[in-house]
Amino acid sequence: MKAFEKLQEAAAVEWQRFSCENQARILVGSATCGRAAGALSVLEAFSTELEKHGLHEKVMLSEVGCLGLCHAEVLVEIKGLDGRSVLYQKVDARSVPRIVKSHLIDGEPSSRKALAIMSDGPHNGLPTFAELPFVRHQVKIVLRNCGIIDPTNIDHYIARGGYSGLIRSLSIEPDEVIEEMVSSGLRGRGGAGFPTGRKWGLASEAAGEDKYVICNADEGDPGAFMDRSVLESDPQSVLEGMLVAGYAIGSRFGYVYCRDEYPLAIERLQTAIAQMREKGLLGEDILGSGFSFDIKIKRGAGAFVCGEETALMASVEGRRGMPMPKPPFPAVSGLFHKPTCINNVETLASVSAIMERGPDWYSTYGTEQSRGTKTFALTGKINNAGLIEVPMGISLRTIIEDIGGGIPDDRQFKAVQTGGPSGGCIPAELLDLPVDYEHLREAGSIMGSGGMVVMDEQSCMVDVSRYFVTFTENESCGKCVPCRMGTQHVLNILTEITEGRGNAAQIEQLNKIGDTMRRASLCGLGQTAPNPVLSTLRFFGDEYRAHVEEKKCPAGVCRSMVTFTINAETCTGCRACSMSCPVEGISGEKKTPHKIDQLVCIQCGSCRDVCHFDAVLVD
Amino acid sequence: MPQISLTIDGIEIEADEGTMVLDVARKAGIEIPTVCAHEDLAPYGACRLCIVDIEGLPGLPTSCTTPAAPGMVVHTQTEALQSLRQRTLELMLSGHPKGCLVCPHRTDCENHRPNPTKAGRTTRCGFCSNRSGCSIRDMSFEMCPTSELDLPTIYYGYNLERSDPFMDRDYNLCVLCAKCWRICEKIHGKPALSLVNRGRWARPGTNFDKSYVGSGCTFCGACIDICPTGTLSDRTGRWHGQPDKITLSTCTLCPEGCSMWVHTTDGKVTSTRMWAFDRESRLCALGRFVFAQMHNAPIRLRRPYVRTNGESIPMEWDDALKAAAERLSAFDKGQVVVIASECDTRETRYLYQKLAVEELSADVLFVPLGGSGDPSLGERLRDGSVKAAIVAGDFLDQESIERLECLIAVDWRPSDVSRNADIVLPAAILSESEGTFRDASGNVRSVPCCSETVGEARPEWRIVRDIARAMGSEEFDYETINDVTSEIVDDRPPSPWNGSPRDNLKELPGHFRGHCIADSAQEVEMLGLPTKAVRKRSETEEEGFRIIEKKEIVPNFHLLEVEAPQVARFAKPGQFVIVMVSEESERVPYTLADWNEETGTITMIVEEVGRSSREVALLKEGGMIAHVTGPLGMPVNIEKFGTVVMGAGCYGVGAVYPIARAMKAAGNRVITVVEACSYYLIYWEDKLAEVSDEILFATKDGSRGTHGGVQDVFGQLLTSTDGGSDPPDVFVAIGCTFMMRSAVEVTRASRVPTYVALNPIMVDGTGMCGACRCTVEGETRFACIDGPIFNGHEVDWDELSSRRSAYANVEVEALSHGGPPEPLEAQAGGSAARGVCSEDRCDFANIRPTYGN
Repeated sequence: MKAFEKLQEAAAVEWQRFSCENQARILVGSATCGRAAGALSVLEAFSTELEKHGLHEKVMLSEVGCLGLCHAEVLVEIKGLDGRSVLYQKVDARSVPRIVKSHLIDGEPSSRKALAIMSDGPHNGLPTFAELPFVRHQVKIVLRNCGIIDPTNIDHYIARGGYSGLIRSLSIEPDEVIEEMVSSGLRGRGGAGFPTGRKWGLASEAAGEDKYVICNADEGDPGAFMDRSVLESDPQSVLEGMLVAGYAIGSRFGYVYCRDEYPLAIERLQTAIAQMREKGLLGEDILGSGFSFDIKIKRGAGAFVCGEETALMASVEGRRGMPMPKPPFPAVSGLFHKPTCINNVETLASVSAIMERGPDWYSTYGTEQSRGTKTFALTGKINNAGLIEVPMGISLRTIIEDIGGGIPDDRQFKAVQTGGPSGGCIPAELLDLPVDYEHLREAGSIMGSGGMVVMDEQSCMVDVSRYFVTFTENESCGKCVPCRMGTQHVLNILTEITEGRGNAAQIEQLNKIGDTMRRASLCGLGQTAPNPVLSTLRFFGDEYRAHVEEKKCPAGVCRSMVTFTINAETCTGCRACSMSCPVEGISGEKKTPHKIDQLVCIQCGSCRDVCHFDAVLVD
Repeated sequence: MPQISLTIDGIEIEADEGTMVLDVARKAGIEIPTVCAHEDLAPYGACRLCIVDIEGLPGLPTSCTTPAAPGMVVHTQTEALQSLRQRTLELMLSGHPKGCLVCPHRTDCENHRPNPTKAGRTTRCGFCSNRSGCSIRDMSFEMCPTSELDLPTIYYGYNLERSDPFMDRDYNLCVLCAKCWRICEKIHGKPALSLVNRGRWARPGTNFDKSYVGSGCTFCGACIDICPTGTLSDRTGRWHGQPDKITLSTCTLCPEGCSMWVHTTDGKVTSTRMWAFDRESRLCALGRFVFAQMHNAPIRLRRPYVRTNGESIPMEWDDALKAAAERLSAFDKGQVVVIASECDTRETRYLYQKLAVEELSADVLFVPLGGSGDPSLGERLRDGSVKAAIVAGDFLDQESIERLECLIAVDWRPSDVSRNADIVLPAAILSESEGTFRDASGNVRSVPCCSETVGEARPEWRIVRDIARAMGSEEFDYETINDVTSEIVDDRPPSPWNGSPRDNLKELPGHFRGHCIADSAQEVEMLGLPTKAVRKRSETEEEGFRIIEKKEIVPNFHLLEVEAPQVARFAKPGQFVIVMVSEESERVPYTLADWNEETGTITMIVEEVGRSSREVALLKEGGMIAHVTGPLGMPVNIEKFGTVVMGAGCYGVGAVYPIARAMKAAGNRVITVVEACSYYLIYWEDKLAEVSDEILFATKDGSRGTHGGVQDVFGQLLTSTDGGSDPPDVFVAIGCTFMMRSAVEVTRASRVPTYVALNPIMVDGTGMCGACRCTVEGETRFACIDGPIFNGHEVDWDELSSRRSAYANVEVEALSHGGPPEPLEAQAGGSAARGVCSEDRCDFANIRPTYGN
């Protein structure tokens, strides 16, 4: 493939320009997460500041994607004129002048915001990036380029090995590609974990000229942002995966189904597709290989159920997004009744890595049944919230205590919710559970697409499951009976319980309705919607019973059942609580114990959240 | 298709490969329940009732969507499946007003009330026009002997949609089987409706909730006909129940001659349906909805008339025919003309032709649909060459009518022609008469006679035959229609109609035999069809009784507060008023539920159960009611009895309020028992609690209080052994006849007086007409002046029930003439918006159920 070698050469030059040692540069993490934290104003501040110091021609300023350290956004990597590179955290526009001055002008990394050193050489007392507890346990395959390359520059991707996987695929038979995928052990990362190679095999065997590849980028779980980060930070890795899939199953056309709530992801995809076309990596006769493939972006309107593959295809066809029973499976009869291979964003990003470095390399990570790595969106009551990628089989404890840095304020870990609204809650006693498809399922949860919400002692498990059911109740398409009606009743009952009108019979009703939904619903949404309830009933039954029998919420969350009081012994009279009270219901002189007026109190819990001395008691 | 073999429930079955397991099982006589599957629709898999266990397949696939494969081993009746199906059905019905299905008194109640109540909103089977044909109901009895999940009903509170022509829609009943839009898509390609919204608010609807007239709907009625619930219904046909006869016939409203099923009950056409659920068989709005209305139009020609000395006088047929023959004989050759519709049965046309040519030597003119008469006719009338005419329709202008010396009208409804005719002969139309029809493409179709004629009207072929006979002809000795048919050798098809009524609402023919269709079926005016009728404007009149408040307080119950100072001043508990909504309305009695002497207002609770109460339901605040007469009837005897138990159901909840208030004021201990079908139908709870020492509830679905009715709570109170409370001294029960009667039976043995408010049909309310006659203590009493409150132990209940149902058929007919659709703003939410899900619901939509009682 002469043509590709040429591309690689050009890309190497471009990458060299970007990353060579004596090129000073500032990289601002400005995916949606960074932008939400203010990356764009930081970017502007750097631009102004460089100009002010006349450095704008010497120092390259560039946007990159997401490194995953959400708790530390805005992240900025600065390589000085001396080649020393430091990662700064929680940068805001105000701190920019000081950082520029000390790092770029004085040659001394600014210590206050410095998080880690990215380059070799003297450390200045900073840990290296790889040594950070957040980073140490991670293995980045899907996220290999995230936060490192400019996602709008295809050359960066190519220079870092991109498209060599495609080129290698094109050099072997489609069946061999499928075989490699089978031997890599990759399983679908959308949630169900169906082996990718087998899925491709079915689509490849299916009769018919026209076949489709669909990239499912309809990430809808509340709190999940793995796919968004990949699309925003490294879109090419996903698109390359689609090309490989297309070649393997004999398809010439692919859709990326991405929700319109991800405007930046769509923009980056559009840029990426345009650049692919420019380089001859998309369209007719790709790089003279004889293989032709084209990709179109289809924007979804944001219905959660459209992440279900049959509903997604209905939506692409322009119909109401509602699931259809399987079989027929999409691999046999999918989009427009043609054989269709639907893969998730993360799966496709893994595909390109596997084809680049080989299935044997990939399968060294993970466990026997669950190979490779998995990304998770780690959120909730955790110190280091962020996007992580870990090898399968790693324990929940490592994720939460090491990578996540434990629970804030030294509170007690209570449970971790995996799999989003379709998943379940895993209690503290199962913290050593290895994270893979089988073990999570046994624990009554699922891998799902990778949401991971950590809860501490102040989380009420009934309230948590009510939150997730509120979501599924709202997002049920309404087609099948168990899901449409079941979610409504489960939500009504949970509302009754959390509002203090519960009774013991309702717990039995929850179990029965949940069981019916699980076994009789049409699609995955309904089948898994009761998981948050069933798993909390299983592991936190006492908490439910406390709600219905004693009308008490042990976590102090359910307003109608709690009373907040202030412990005069520990209260220092700091006034934090009275300042935060939205109804002016807390009184007391400065430096003397405060008091809550129970008639005024609305049980919002703000006082407890702000108290540094654990003086607010809940009963 | 290759044959394969599979095993279902241990039976080896041969089937075509690819046939769905459900169909294979059915063919083998194995019944699997389903709601959303339909033989005319593609597999959908939403109701989840037809799940089966297939060895080797994960989960429990739906048999309606799983193709049979060789060697499959299917189990359809395992215990696990049956339990799961029952729960799924319970879940489905928990979103459907199902109170009657789980009511302990269902059988007695339905024996008492064999036909459903003609409610506006359906809040239970007993109020559902689909009850007699409901398969889900039967399924529920069979599959849910006792409840597994014990779920209360969720009532969504969608507004009724009654503002489109022909259709009533009540989405509160929808189980989302989606048959409606699936059949629409199958028949029309691009469906006029689909599912809208998500989750709990998912329901059928049009794009952006447009009116159906603008949504591309052609009103073929398939969605209504396939709906398994009462969600979608045919406004004029819905309360007729199941037909006693279904006849395959031909629509002769236009030259298309579509095949259709004609539904009849007791010889009356109640509905017409497309004869198969496919594109070819679709009907137009007229064929589906107007055909029956034409037959049942209140204005028809019913008797022959002959004009004598300038006055049109009803006559016997023989005399009228003789008169016709005599008059016609007076004219010479060519002086008579026969004008009839071209779009009629071959026999009728043939006989007109034969009469004209052979007996009258006259011209015959067949007017094509939508066309007018021969332009030369006017000329010939003016020059005097034509002097007499037989006209079978509204085909002559005033000038022509005036110039004729003799005009014989053979027609079905009045027009200027019949009003000025010398002789009027009433004709049967459409399915009232038999024959054959040649459609525009030349095919001959059969038109059987399947409904009774109106009044003395006769089939036209017999009228024409008899005119000829009366003129002395021997050439018209036909005994049956077949004698005529067999003589026809060479007839031309009618000229085709210029338009596609089945595909375009704007291309419907507006005329039938020269008459405007809209004159007989007012709704088609909404589709732009012409009318000659002069409609009275029903604007609020300036005189009358002002409506201070009008609100649907719970589904189907309307609170009406009216300014009526004279009534308010003299009202006593237990009295009622007679209301006439407009000058032309019926007089209807409503119990006084409250009044205020100071403001001069009275309050009534009106339940929509028929035509007159529907008029009340459509009233608006600030409008006027024509007449309010009252207070009428004897007040309740209020004194200190001790413990008084008030039983209230339906409208009676309002009616007992003033009695309870007075009883309490008189020093009694008042226990109020409120009965409703379900928790969301309970109203005035706070108000009643204020005037009661204790308030108890009974619901037919067990969703609140005692599972049952007032009678059950009365029984509990009588047998209650808990020491502290005294036994009841007096019972009062106000509600439907069934409830009062059942309550009386419970208290009979105890001899505790049980007062009931009798509700016979009442007309004047002042003791003059005697309509409200009932027997109490063996004597005839008038409910209006001797009652309405009597001791229930002395009432002849059988007589009361039979007198109340005396006009059941007429009451149904009163709703089947297709008056104007409901104005949008009259709906309960008070908002004309039908768009966003929260706006198309009523105030009471937020009442929440409780669980695990």
